[in-house]
Amino acid sequence: MSPLSKRQWRFFLAVAARVAPPCERLDPAGQARFNAIVGKALAARPRSLQRQFRLFLTLLRWGPALRFGASFDRLEPVRQDAVLRWLLDAPILKLRSGFWGVRALAFMGLYGQPEVWPALRYAPSFNGNRFLHD
Amino acid sequence: MIERSYDVVIVGSGAGGGTVAQALAPACREGLRVAVLEWGPKLREDEYTGREAEMAERLYFDSGGVLTRDGTMTLAFGRAYGGSTVVYTGTSLPLPAEVLGRWGVSGLAHDDLLARSKKYMTENNVHLLEGDRINDNNRLFARACRRLGYRVEQFPINVKGCKGSGLCNLGCPNAAKQGTNRVQLPAAEASGVEVITNCKVERIGSRECVATVANPPWGEPSRSEPGEYLVRARAIVVAAGAVNSPALLLRSRLPANLPALGRYVTTHPALILVGEHDRPISNFHGHPKSYYCDHFVASGRFLLETCMYFPFTTAKNLIGFGPEHAELMSRLDRMQMILVLAIDPALPDNRVTVSPTGEPVVNYRFTDGVLDALVESQRAAARIFFAAGCRRVHAPAGLSFFIGAEDVGRLDERITREAFKLGKVSISSAHLMGGCRMGADAGTSVTDAWGQVHGFPWLFVADGSLFPACAEINPYVTIMALADRVAERVRARLPELPR
Repeated sequence: MSPLSKRQWRFFLAVAARVAPPCERLDPAGQARFNAIVGKALAARPRSLQRQFRLFLTLLRWGPALRFGASFDRLEPVRQDAVLRWLLDAPILKLRSGFWGVRALAFMGLYGQPEVWPALRYAPSFNGNRFLHD
Repeated sequence: MIERSYDVVIVGSGAGGGTVAQALAPACREGLRVAVLEWGPKLREDEYTGREAEMAERLYFDSGGVLTRDGTMTLAFGRAYGGSTVVYTGTSLPLPAEVLGRWGVSGLAHDDLLARSKKYMTENNVHLLEGDRINDNNRLFARACRRLGYRVEQFPINVKGCKGSGLCNLGCPNAAKQGTNRVQLPAAEASGVEVITNCKVERIGSRECVATVANPPWGEPSRSEPGEYLVRARAIVVAAGAVNSPALLLRSRLPANLPALGRYVTTHPALILVGEHDRPISNFHGHPKSYYCDHFVASGRFLLETCMYFPFTTAKNLIGFGPEHAELMSRLDRMQMILVLAIDPALPDNRVTVSPTGEPVVNYRFTDGVLDALVESQRAAARIFFAAGCRRVHAPAGLSFFIGAEDVGRLDERITREAFKLGKVSISSAHLMGGCRMGADAGTSVTDAWGQVHGFPWLFVADGSLFPACAEINPYVTIMALADRVAERVRARLPELPR
């Protein structure tokens, strides 16, 4: 069973696109790989951590309604970024840690794909010494 | 439940367990029965793919991201035939005499530890990498340190036929790194030691342990059939690492008062810093860790090392998000990286406990001194980056995403303690120490100076959990030297232990 409902997935993907903009440019295969990496990582975590993650997503979605009168996914991108910047430096450790977890999963889903490495100019080789001091 | 019986059972096959196995192995030819029970798998050579997410899942607990209880630090430790020696960079330094002096363990002399360290450094082919095998990322660090007047040294490393894949932390795909998986364990097996992989020890009883064998979808199948086992032994050596050794002993509920069990954990907490050059440099090709700077160990309580990590690990360690984060990530070939490690004090409340289901929980609180050291280390690293020619630097405690070269004279203002917030910054640890610390007093230690658990003549510990305080350097040679002592004591003690 997926640790996130379909609605939670859609919301997480929307947040991931703000966190790691190249996520928006993933083709369907890349999107599927993203989902597989994140889904597997989440599923491997303790249930308590999965619960905390779902709770944080709910907070991230509805928390902005108190300040902006609309849920996160209905905000303009610039306001979404403002919310995320606030969370990054939030005065409460649990909020900062929660956002750290969202960031980490988004980056894992994207940069954990070897297919994106060329765009990073990352080209490891088992025989890396051959490429030294070119 | 399947029953087995041995003379000695070793739990774990890393720097500690692998060393004990090899040291006891000659006695197998005279009939001694020794088994190593390793939780992780033995990967096939073609399974070392260098792909970050895949290898992290295969070789680390929680893919290298075990969280401390409050979520402020991730812990990376290996789970494999060879333990964490499969996933370290092979840096090999003996424990400095002054650190051993600070440890203050009666009966543990520096001459003895150094002699044993040197034995394993020779056995595992520790040497300095040839100059033409050192990449720009490392060269630039050393040159900049010298320019700034900072003491810098080359790391001795334990490789044989290194091809510079740069993938050490994901398991060497060329079998070049001489961890216990390449040296001690094969030698032990050749002499008759049984290494049972994919075998998790659930708990220890009186001269027995309960274990479960279950094969993951990768690696060679365990030599033992899947199932539950009751394994009896005259002596048991716990070498499951600084998290799992204390956790195993705690959930075993040993009939003894060991108030220090699980306590005094130190982690050498680390940050990854990035500088950006205006041109590509060689960084992900070649061995990733050739130099360290211990200039600030006494004055600032931190150590600087070269490093080069993989895309996800790098992305996670940069602060922030969005376009500027993505822009920096898109130029990985221009990145210079430095790992800073704070030397943390051994405190009783920094401890491993177990959850109601028996899982390890690491409770760790950062002291003000450690946080100060982590901030100051970022300023030192930034000076090194700029002296190396970087055009801008990304520091986790920076007031902005980038600090430009024009700010080199104002680093105290640009990198501040106020900007350094736990939970925001990715702090990680791969040097886990303590939890079963050595000492003479059963009130403040778990084992004696030879790794024997106080009050249990048949139970020993042989891994980084023995360290009474931070090693202040990369710890694995010291773990091997201590494990060699433990093996010596086990051999001496065996005739007294009932069959």
